[in-house]
Amino acid sequence: MAEFSPTILAFCCNWCSYAGADLAGVSRLQMPPNIHIIRVMCSASVKPEYVLKAISGGVDGVLVLGCHIGDCHYMTGNHRTAKRMPLVQKVLKEVGIDEKRLRLDWVSASEGEKFQKVVTDFVDEVKQLGPNPMRGVKW
Amino acid sequence: MVNDLGRKLAKLAFEERGADMLLVMREEHGNVVPAMVPKGEDLGDVRLDIPYQLITILENIYPWVSKGRIAIITRRCDEKALAELVKRKYVDDKRIVRIGLACSEDQIRRCRCEDPVPSKVDLGEPHAAAKGDELISRLEKMSQQERLEFWAGQFKKCNKCFGCTLNCPVCFCDDDCVLEDRTFVAEPSVPPGLSFHMIRSYHMIDKCIECGECERSCPAEIPLLTMRKLLAKDMKELFKFRPGDEKTVSPLNTTLEGEQLEDGCDEC
Ligand code: SF4
Ligand code: SF4
Ligand code: FES
Repeated sequence: MAEFSPTILAFCCNWCSYAGADLAGVSRLQMPPNIHIIRVMCSASVKPEYVLKAISGGVDGVLVLGCHIGDCHYMTGNHRTAKRMPLVQKVLKEVGIDEKRLRLDWVSASEGEKFQKVVTDFVDEVKQLGPNPMRGVKW
Repeated sequence: MVNDLGRKLAKLAFEERGADMLLVMREEHGNVVPAMVPKGEDLGDVRLDIPYQLITILENIYPWVSKGRIAIITRRCDEKALAELVKRKYVDDKRIVRIGLACSEDQIRRCRCEDPVPSKVDLGEPHAAAKGDELISRLEKMSQQERLEFWAGQFKKCNKCFGCTLNCPVCFCDDDCVLEDRTFVAEPSVPPGLSFHMIRSYHMIDKCIECGECERSCPAEIPLLTMRKLLAKDMKELFKFRPGDEKTVSPLNTTLEGEQLEDGCDEC
């Protein structure tokens, strides 16, 4: 059987994490091809609804990346994200979806290597978890 | 004709606490209906077995009642719902007169209520809190897969009537409810998919005062209150926050250091 290849969304904020991803790219760091990057203005633009809809729609994992605390271009945007995402994880957990399918991390514009590491780790973890069980639920 | 309860309520509301009108449930032509009765008018056949949230009714008529003090019967959950409304300035606290009602044992059992006694008891006898929710202990023993099967099985029964949102006293977004937005919930689909329920669960997480109205309203008999209770527990563990207190601010509206942010994020 072919190895499970997860579909993963990565929301990256414009000012830090997307630049970090870009740096990883131009530095030709090797990364798994499973992630689909969505560029947003700030990690706080990632509405919890997006994450929940994605996972309920069968996406295997969602990665939310923003500037380090204190560095958000909009001052406190990532403070909101830091409060919201743990609660979104709880909602997933309560309905019976592994909360590890959502991960929040901070990647700055100069952290190309960290970007590579976070993405690789997350893809590995989601591979361990297997396909999103929502795919198997007949609605 | 006013009954004994009506006389007692009128005395409390109008004579002792200076209200100008009283929001009650009363029997009319064999049905129990809400009524706003001005001071001096016949209260009619007042009932205490309140079949739905008076606070939701207050919230709906409040914009049309421009002056005067409104007396309302408040159980503990109503008090907490009012606190959430006052906190958001939907209702002016100075215009509200509370008449505390302690819930019956039967009611407490049905709500699996852990906080049943209002701050001031004017009507009814205070009873002890319920000892937890039987379904929660069953869910805790389940594996992740079993839990998903359980909830998917429940949510599949949903016919998207919006009863749970319309009757909820602390569901405020009215015209911009994301559950009615096809970006999040594919419009023609019934049942509406897990996103509907997960999004609603997330939205209530810093407001739900566990009144159980969503569950009572649900024609599909989905144990919605159990889901609310589970998430209330998570909220408490993560941020030590419980909705229902005017003085506390939702952790979703503060920075990591606890400084208050504006309600809703308009920064980006
Ligand atoms: S229990 Fe249901 S109806 Fe009551 S506040 Fe919570 S979500 Fe709203
Ligand atoms: S009240 Fe029940 S059936 Fe109606 S929308 Fe809510 S969950 Fe679905
Ligand atoms: S701009 Fe990067 S987290 Fe706000």
